[in-house]
Amino acid sequence: MNTRAITDFASQFGVQIALNLDLMVEKTGRFYLVNPALKPLVRQDFFSAGVFLGKAKEGKFFPSFNLLGMLAKKEANRIILDRKAAWLFICGRDVLRKSIVRIQGPGKKDTNTLVFNEFGECLGFGRIVEKLSGAAGDNEIAVRNVLDIGDFLRRER
Amino acid sequence: MSGKEFFTSRYERLGWQYREVTLKQAIRINNTNAKGKKLLPRLESLGVHIQKIPFLDSGYWVLDSKVSAGATAEYLLGMYSIQEAAAQIPVSLFTHLKGKKALDVAAAPGGKTVHLADLMENTGGIVALDVDKWRLNALVNHLERCRVSNAVVYMLDARQASTLDLKFDRVLVDAPCSGNFASDRDWFKNRTLKDVERNAGLQREILTEAVDCLSDEGEMVYSTCSLEPEEDELNMDWAIKNLNLQIEEVYCSGEKGVTNVFGKQLDPSIKHCRRLWPGETQGFFVCKLKKRSPKP
Repeated sequence: MNTRAITDFASQFGVQIALNLDLMVEKTGRFYLVNPALKPLVRQDFFSAGVFLGKAKEGKFFPSFNLLGMLAKKEANRIILDRKAAWLFICGRDVLRKSIVRIQGPGKKDTNTLVFNEFGECLGFGRIVEKLSGAAGDNEIAVRNVLDIGDFLRRER
Repeated sequence: MSGKEFFTSRYERLGWQYREVTLKQAIRINNTNAKGKKLLPRLESLGVHIQKIPFLDSGYWVLDSKVSAGATAEYLLGMYSIQEAAAQIPVSLFTHLKGKKALDVAAAPGGKTVHLADLMENTGGIVALDVDKWRLNALVNHLERCRVSNAVVYMLDARQASTLDLKFDRVLVDAPCSGNFASDRDWFKNRTLKDVERNAGLQREILTEAVDCLSDEGEMVYSTCSLEPEEDELNMDWAIKNLNLQIEEVYCSGEKGVTNVFGKQLDPSIKHCRRLWPGETQGFFVCKLKKRSPKP
C-alpha cells in the first residue's frame, strides 16, 4: 500500500508520521488505520473501518479530522486563535492576522498550518497566505481556511 | 385498523392513559472525548443550560439554549452527542464492554454505536451494519466526529449478519420499528396495525439472525421506539420460546414489561423488560437477553 500521500501531507506541517502498514487498510483511495483487535473483523467489503485518515483522489490528498488530530498530538505547526475567530473559522471563514493569539512553528507563507482554539483543540487547517506577524495591517487575511470541523454540518446538507 | 382512537385504546388496555407530550432535547456526554475538557462550564458559558438526567449516567436535558446544541465547537469535536434520553438506555445495559467484540445490527445514524465505543473506551471492536447508503454516510460522519476508532462498518442487511461468520460478546438489536407518536407528529395518521405486524415480522427475522452471531456467554440488548406490543413484549415472548433465549433482569428507568397483552398471557419473565411510556422521554422498549444455558 502506498501511504506516501499521507506522510507527504504530514510533512507539510513539519512532522513525520510512521504508519504501521500491518494495521492500514485501503479502499478506493480511502485510507484507514485499524487497531489490532479490530483487524480480524475487517473484511474486504467494508464500508468504513477504524480511523479514517483521508482519501487520495486525482493526485490530491484530502485529510480527515482524525489525521489532523494525530498531527496535532505531534507538535505540528499551528496557530492559536482567539475565541471569536475560532468560531468564525468553524463557520468556514479565513483567519485575520489580528485574531492569532500564538504561533507555533515557522509560520512561513505558502505553507499549511493547523488551526487551534484557546482550549488547545484542533479545529482544522489552513494555508498561510501572508506573514503571520509583523507590521502589515491587522485586518489582513493571514490564513485561508482549507478545512474546518464545521464540515461535519455542511457535508450532510 | 388504524387511527388515533384505535391505537390509544390499545395503550389504555395495556395500562396507560394517552396524553400529548412535548419532548425535551437531550445530550449524552462522550466521556472518552470530554475527559478533562471542562465541558459543562463551557456549555454554560455558551448559554446552553443543561440538567443531569437522573436515570442516566451521562445524559443531560437541554433546558434552554442561546445556540443550537448541534452546532457548537464542543459538539463538532465529539464531546457530546444529541441523543434522546430513552435511546441512551440500551447500550448502558451491557456489562464489561471494554475489550469486547460487539455487533450493532441496525446502526445508522450511529448514536448507539458511538455510545458503545465510548463505554468500550475505543478498545475491542464494533461491527456496525446498515443497509441504506445515505444512512451509512450519516453513521460514518458521526463516527468520525466522535473520533471512534474501534468500529468497522458494513453495508449489510441485519438479516444477513451471520454471513460475517463471527461470534460477538455483545449484540445490540435496536430494531427498525414503527416509531411512536411522541417523536412523530403524524404517527397516528400514517400507521396501521398491518405496518406494526410487518415490522414485528422483520424484527423476528433480525432477532433470529442476531442470536446466531451471539457467543454462548454473550449479552444481547433488544430495543425499539415502538409502543406496540407486537414489536415489544410479544416479540420477546416469541424469542424466548423459539430462540433459546432468556430475559435478564435490568435496572433502568421504565415500567415492567406487560405480561398480559390483550388477554394473551406471556412468559412471566417478560416483566423484566422495560417499557417507557411517553412523558419524560419518547416511547421506548428495552430488554436484555442471554442464551439459555444447556441443562446439565
